[in-house]
Amino acid sequence: MQKTFVDIQNLSKAYGSTTVLHDISLSIGEGEIVGLIGPNGAGKSTLLKAIMGLIKYSGSLSIFDKDPFKHRTELLKNMSYIADVASLPGWMKVKDMLEFVGQTHPKFSLERAKELLVDTPITLDSRIETLSKGMKTRLHLVTILAINTDLLVLDEPTLGLDVLVRRDFQDRLVKDYYNQQRSILITTHQVDEIESILTRVIFIKEGRINLDFKISELKERYCKLVSKQNIVFSDPNIKPIYQRALPEATEMIFKDVDANELSQYGDVVTPTLEDLFVATNSNSVPASQ
Amino acid sequence: MKIMLALLKRELLEHRNIWFVPAILVVIAVLLRLSLAFGDLSIDFDLPSQLQLDGAIDSAISGVMIRGLNWMNYIIMMTMFIVACFYTLSCLYNERQDESVLFWRSLPVSDGMTIASKLIIALLVTPLLVLACQIVVAFIFFGINAFDYLAVYFSSSLILLVKLLIWSLIPTVAWCLFCSEVANKNPFLLAFFAPFLLWVIDTLFLSGAIGQYLRVNRWIGFSDYSVLPLVSGAIVSVVSISLAIVKRSQRI
Repeated sequence: MQKTFVDIQNLSKAYGSTTVLHDISLSIGEGEIVGLIGPNGAGKSTLLKAIMGLIKYSGSLSIFDKDPFKHRTELLKNMSYIADVASLPGWMKVKDMLEFVGQTHPKFSLERAKELLVDTPITLDSRIETLSKGMKTRLHLVTILAINTDLLVLDEPTLGLDVLVRRDFQDRLVKDYYNQQRSILITTHQVDEIESILTRVIFIKEGRINLDFKISELKERYCKLVSKQNIVFSDPNIKPIYQRALPEATEMIFKDVDANELSQYGDVVTPTLEDLFVATNSNSVPASQ
Repeated sequence: MKIMLALLKRELLEHRNIWFVPAILVVIAVLLRLSLAFGDLSIDFDLPSQLQLDGAIDSAISGVMIRGLNWMNYIIMMTMFIVACFYTLSCLYNERQDESVLFWRSLPVSDGMTIASKLIIALLVTPLLVLACQIVVAFIFFGINAFDYLAVYFSSSLILLVKLLIWSLIPTVAWCLFCSEVANKNPFLLAFFAPFLLWVIDTLFLSGAIGQYLRVNRWIGFSDYSVLPLVSGAIVSVVSISLAIVKRSQRI
């Protein structure tokens, strides 16, 4: 039986008269890497704040069967999060910082942290502010990876970092943290980069869950047709959910349509997460042809 | 307990002035003592031999020393209380400025615990450092005779220190912590501006009624007069500290 780490039922959040989250329901079990993806202002950060126990909400929300707002400190023993990779205290030496985490977090292992630091240029005596941005990120990740928790929550963890650091961050996440008993919840709007590490994707739009599917379903249910000709579909049931005109071709995204049938019109490929993200977030109504 | 010790160590590492300033004060005392030793009065003035044996001269000289030392001890106390105020003004503000508050709050340490560690530093560690510093300075000046001096000095000054702590330092530190947590740009300005504004309004429009109400007989003791400011100080402290904890727990 798969364990459920996060269980959200009918969660809503309003700031004054503006409702940011409408009736969100979702659950996250062990062994998942979930990408919470949405445009700016979609409410993904608000949802994450609720999960991390930072804001009040209406509806029910439990992490490891506890209400995060009431039992935040208790919960943080079993859940790690990185709110911002630029938040390590610069004045501290690496060893003092690690020692502090060791004394305050019961599940932190100093040996593990040292082990992970071996193949980095970071020394225990360096002051954190003297490290480059990439190394600070690495150090933060190492610190979190040395904490033996089952759920890791990341809010736009790689914002403002260059592509090499971002890629390295994601690879290490999978290599050094992830296993079948642990889960990661990660928000981002850099869809294309994160795709390869996710096992499940949740699109959120205007405070509602728009799409929630496993990456394996992406290939089964969605396809992209790139066609150089003007197409008239004989079957009225074949209708793209999104269409984009390129200089020499037309791109169309289809849902639950037989790929073999489409292949007569052009090249059929699996859409990228970015394609799907744009398709579900764009307001343009597919042109009728 | 282990967490509290880690928090206290963090404060002492981050705010080095807390122990740096007493160290400087001790160094100053050593320099003063050395200058006294080099300028030994009895040699410089080449006193007539009958006077050198006169106990009155010795007691006059040590009387000057005692007065000088009392004065030095007063400076130590005041300096450390100023350090405590500046510490509480900057501690919560600094962690917001460098955004490390996000990191601290991602660890399983409650906000109440963190604020408590800062209060312990300001209200317990600083006064203890005052006493330690005063003891060391007494030994620098009097050597083994420091015991006699300290016995006399502490018999009157300890109660003063405690009163100063309860009547003045607790509300001041609590108010400073509050300013440190809420100030957007400058906690120092906020901390001094608000009381200043109160004073201006009081003087201009209320002909000093609030001042009268709050007037404290802090130095003399628990007279009827001083209970009111004690109560209002306690209220200010509790409200300021609670607001600081609530405010910090909303940082995201």
